[in-house]
Amino acid sequence: MAEGNRVTAAIRVDGVSHVYRPPRGRPVLALDKISLEVHEHEFLALLGPSGCGKSTLLYLMGGFMPISEGSIYVGDRQVTGPGPDRGIVFQHFALFPWKTVRQNVLYGLEKLGLPREEQIRRAQEYIDMVKLTGFEDSYPNQLSGGMKQRAAIARTLAVDPQILLMDEPFGALDAQTRSLMQEELLSIWQRTRKTVVFVTHDVQEAVYLAERIAVMTARPGRIKTIVDSRFQEKGPGLLKSPAFVEKVDDVWNLVRQEAIAAQGGAKAGGGD
Amino acid sequence: MSDAHVGSPAPVTSPARVLDEGTSLSALTVVGQILIRSGSVIALLVGWELLAQSGAFTTFLLPPLSLVLERVWEDLTSGELFVNLGLTLYRAAAGFTIAAVGGIALGILIARIRAVHWLFDPVVSVGFPMPKIAFLPVFMLWFGLYDFSKISMIAFDCVFPVIAATVAATQSVETQIIWSARSLGAKDRTILWEIMLPAALPQILTGLQIALPIALIVAIVCEMLMGGEGLGGAMIQSSRFANSPGVFAGILEIAVAGWLVIKGQEWIRRKLLIWHQESQNVATV
Amino acid sequence: MAATAWRYTPLLLLVIIWEAGTRLGIISTWALPTFDSVVTAWIGLLDGGELLYHAGASLMRGAAGLGLSIVIGTLLGILMAWIKPIRIVFNPIVQVFYPIPKSALIPIMMLWLGFGHSSKIMLIFLGCMLPVTISAFNGARGVDHVLIWSARSLGASPRQVLFEVVAPGAMPEILAGIRTAIALSFVLLVSSELIVSREGLGYLIGWLGDGGVYNAMFAVVLTVAGLGFVADRGWLMLMRRMLSWRE
Repeated sequence: MAEGNRVTAAIRVDGVSHVYRPPRGRPVLALDKISLEVHEHEFLALLGPSGCGKSTLLYLMGGFMPISEGSIYVGDRQVTGPGPDRGIVFQHFALFPWKTVRQNVLYGLEKLGLPREEQIRRAQEYIDMVKLTGFEDSYPNQLSGGMKQRAAIARTLAVDPQILLMDEPFGALDAQTRSLMQEELLSIWQRTRKTVVFVTHDVQEAVYLAERIAVMTARPGRIKTIVDSRFQEKGPGLLKSPAFVEKVDDVWNLVRQEAIAAQGGAKAGGGD
Repeated sequence: MSDAHVGSPAPVTSPARVLDEGTSLSALTVVGQILIRSGSVIALLVGWELLAQSGAFTTFLLPPLSLVLERVWEDLTSGELFVNLGLTLYRAAAGFTIAAVGGIALGILIARIRAVHWLFDPVVSVGFPMPKIAFLPVFMLWFGLYDFSKISMIAFDCVFPVIAATVAATQSVETQIIWSARSLGAKDRTILWEIMLPAALPQILTGLQIALPIALIVAIVCEMLMGGEGLGGAMIQSSRFANSPGVFAGILEIAVAGWLVIKGQEWIRRKLLIWHQESQNVATV
Repeated sequence: MAATAWRYTPLLLLVIIWEAGTRLGIISTWALPTFDSVVTAWIGLLDGGELLYHAGASLMRGAAGLGLSIVIGTLLGILMAWIKPIRIVFNPIVQVFYPIPKSALIPIMMLWLGFGHSSKIMLIFLGCMLPVTISAFNGARGVDHVLIWSARSLGASPRQVLFEVVAPGAMPEILAGIRTAIALSFVLLVSSELIVSREGLGYLIGWLGDGGVYNAMFAVVLTVAGLGFVADRGWLMLMRRMLSWRE
């Protein structure tokens, strides 16, 4: 993987703060003046303890929530709302339960206004890519967790977004499925080379998948440090290599303090 | 809506699921199961006939099943049953439809627009537990003695559960589903029709399923009070003339109508919500 | 406190519109008497004793029928959940009577028991049995098996388990079922009194309406509606208190 000239930032977060206002109770500062650059084609992980605001940051990038302070730029345009340039994948899949897998994947394609045959062809392409061939006409309720997440990924990829925002996408899956999905995501990324921002609280997952890891502090969330996580080759064999294990240990040490702080000080409620 | 009214409607299932039988029945064939399930009903009917014939009760108090069935047959062949059943069902359906359309529309507005919510929340919350049938004389005063007052009363009674269910359903649509749609390029205007309504459909249907039997009950009560044609009117006539087989025949007819309505509802729900029920066979790949 | 007042303000608005509309002649007072005339009529009924007399009759009937249905229905429901033969016998009966609109029983009650108290009490008893029995059954059935097994392994006899684990465990659902039954009892009470009665609030409404005394009629209608509302809220408060362990 040649190191390209990474001058343009795919996403630029500039002094962003976010206040969470619960329906009852006092407002809480979720994010505190975060500044961060996500390079094009890179796989960046947002890692931190529960409640640190990593998902909130992702949602702000996606344009789903208004920004209290600061700004976020995608390319050279400021983020004002959601759009097909930033695809999102949620932890609990968020598939449209009344649509079949195919209809789910077609949804974004229909919005793009492509000719019908092209829509169907593309939908099938992505369904095949996530290895759900044969289940096009199944409803989400008939699928296992791993399959639902694949369908969600196919739906998001089908509109070919430059940026992929992933909110703990494998958090709801069992450990075995999670490992398989991580490998598949890695291979999809290596093929399509999208910019990926991946939120997780799992240190090993972050080190395994990402090229850079932004470690966040407990609430109010700030970027504690950015760790480089590139290895010669990413694949299942990596998990046993001493370099990998050491890196995981290093990163965990960075996160541990924040995790402890989060446990002690965190109350119920508040966004992540 | 706040929790101070009759909460979000509990899932309405037919008693077949409400009181599901023990697993010992699963070993029998389908026919065997049907026989056993209807066994008690058959026993009830047979017991009715025997009790009536035994002379323990007068024919007035408990007319034999055979006599009642004869009367039902008469109604059927004379066409009276169809007229009465048709009228009652027509009124119930008309009132229900008005309540359904109006209720869903109002429910969506209440859920999404603050001012509308503020205005209507207490009205629905207070109105829900009231015995709205008490307003029937008022409706009669306003709308006369014919179908219009009956249908408005039915609509009035049915609209509350529909609104409550619609509001709850609309408010509980998963935010992330809406976000997904937005990020896939959906515009605000289409989100309501393409995303919110389908997502809210199961709960809205539940509200409708609660409202439909109410429509039938209210239709019958209105007919009983105002007389004239219709199942309720016919029954009250029979009772006024101390025609006990007539009254019992009326009950059988109404029971069948009620049963048909509930079965029909279940069938529609199954058809519309195929995607919802399919949580049984989960594939694993 | 203030929040509750604000929440119910639209009702106040409604009353204001009512009074203003009728006073200003926008709404014909023939169809809708002025609000203050309704209030005056209400006070008159109270003073004259009719309101209390008929309310007493109605509430007595309702309470009797409802009370019976609660006691017997709960017992039946729990027994059905606990003892298989009882379930097999009563299950289809419930299934048969479930879809019957309970108001269809009004003419039969009239036939059997006449115009007086007993026909109403019987009607309410039979009608309200169903929701109570079904909730008690579902509630008892729904008690987590692990709770029952734990109790047994701690030495409780089946009877003790029934009273100390199943009944309390079924309580939330039973209380919810009673709430439904309360609303149903009002409907059945008012319906039957409107149609076949010589006393009671429903009868009073009809009598006043026939006599053209509309402001008094409205007064009683609102009273009945109000009673239904109060009963529901009162029960809700009781439920909250009884189920405080759930919070």
